[in-house]
Amino acid sequence: MALLSPYSKVPELNTATVLLVENEEELQNKLANAIVQHEKDFNVNVRLAKKLPLPVENKEARPRIDLIVFIVSLLSERSLQSAESSLSHLHSDCFLGKVCFLVTDARCGSHTQERLVSVRKLAASHHCPVICAEHRTADGVSAAALRLLNILQVSAGMTPMSTTALYLSTLTRCSLTSDLQEDYLQ
Amino acid sequence: MFNLLPAFSLGVLLIVMEGRGSAVNTPASRPVTRKSKSYGRSCVEAPSYFWQTPGHLTVLKVPTSRGAAKSQIITNKVDPEHIALLVKNEWKLSYVTPLHHFRHTQLKSYAKHLSAFIVAEKQQGVAVEVGLDAGFKVTFTAVLGLAETDEDAETVFIQIQSKPVFAAAADAPKVVWRGWLTCVNGDPEYLRSLPPDFVSLPLFCTSGPESLTNLVKSWFERAFDCNFGSLALNSSTLNWLAALWTGCHPACNIRYLKLSWSLPTEPPLDVLYTVNPQDAWELWNSIHPQENTDDRIDIKDVQAFMSGMETHFFRHFKIHLSAGTLLKVSTALGSAHHDGKIKIGNSDYITTLLALLTECALLKMPT
Repeated sequence: MALLSPYSKVPELNTATVLLVENEEELQNKLANAIVQHEKDFNVNVRLAKKLPLPVENKEARPRIDLIVFIVSLLSERSLQSAESSLSHLHSDCFLGKVCFLVTDARCGSHTQERLVSVRKLAASHHCPVICAEHRTADGVSAAALRLLNILQVSAGMTPMSTTALYLSTLTRCSLTSDLQEDYLQ
Repeated sequence: MFNLLPAFSLGVLLIVMEGRGSAVNTPASRPVTRKSKSYGRSCVEAPSYFWQTPGHLTVLKVPTSRGAAKSQIITNKVDPEHIALLVKNEWKLSYVTPLHHFRHTQLKSYAKHLSAFIVAEKQQGVAVEVGLDAGFKVTFTAVLGLAETDEDAETVFIQIQSKPVFAAAADAPKVVWRGWLTCVNGDPEYLRSLPPDFVSLPLFCTSGPESLTNLVKSWFERAFDCNFGSLALNSSTLNWLAALWTGCHPACNIRYLKLSWSLPTEPPLDVLYTVNPQDAWELWNSIHPQENTDDRIDIKDVQAFMSGMETHFFRHFKIHLSAGTLLKVSTALGSAHHDGKIKIGNSDYITTLLALLTECALLKMPT
């Protein structure tokens, strides 16, 4: 099974590529537009996918992917299930700073809280950060795009003097408070 | 861990730091661990999972397993008339924070005060004497026997009767509003940690006009310094109910298992999924065999049960039910709606249902 691996291709000059994986395909487009339109000093390619594995046909033409973002909507269980099944198609090297979880609708009442906890447990077990985004307003989408751009800059290696992807992921990875961790480790 | 932050700013990233930098000493006498909330606490943290009771700190966790539904001929313990009152209506749920200075011995005086309050609110500005035979008659009854453990407080049932506007003098007053406060099998650590003046009856069920419900709530808030809030049942509670009720099928015929989903399509698609009880029970039995001497049901069993139902539906209709929200679960034993409305069908399993709902109320209650 071909796993998506971060270092199998040569990077392009001054370019970073981000892959947005979302089952519902609603926030992807808005976020992609916001990312591309944002002012920045490097080129950004945004790739969209519904789930992994990516189709084999474009494998040669696809550039090196620097950051993989899983967009999970907390209002549906299916979103989380699809993200979980996609995780198994990633090479383990990806989890050293190249994967991030983006969660939407985290504020919608009590029925999303348990799913949020399961997303955080998933992210903590894979050492990835979790970002919450507000996708219904343009401001929210552009704020999420800005945060993703910052992380992308680091994982593409554009800021070698400040930090590296591995260092950043160690700092920002989702961690669980100790009693949630007890449940998890049981 | 690292003490240096990176040189560039990242906006606000969510980092959960555990107690770093805040100097808190756990007193040696307290058996429970204290969760210190440092400034790095992320807003992702669900506030309803951790809270403080007045003066003490406890942590209530969402349970991952619970005992199977046990049938109890409840009429042995509780007056059948009271049970009949509970089973009849559809109840709207709310949670209540602990009541201060609530005495089960003073129910009559509470009834008088509440009726005076209601009459006063209805005729704002006119002085009303407590004890006068006004248009509203309130009765507080203690329903003994519903409480499961020693720490549970006894259930209190409230009825408001009033004469209809054009009634003859001899007509009996009709019951216009009913409500009850209950605590069944509440978390014993939490209940023990409450200070002695507080009584915890976290589940409040009402049936009747919204205006009267609000009046009763505001009287309680003033008299006992508590807070009310609406209790919505989230999908995992509804899943538990579906599994528990299905597990009761061999003992008591549930007649049907109806699940009502709403899918976020344009326009929204409503799905009513009715399952033959025998089929549902066979599915449940294959996941959690009844011969299992261990009475505990794990949440994984419940999730397997629901995903089995969803896969079956997908195979026939190619619709992923997990992409939508579960709104209502109903069987002959009762029904529960996502908005927080329940109906009790059969009094034999009432304790299991109430225990689950009490737990939801306790978890939903804020600090």
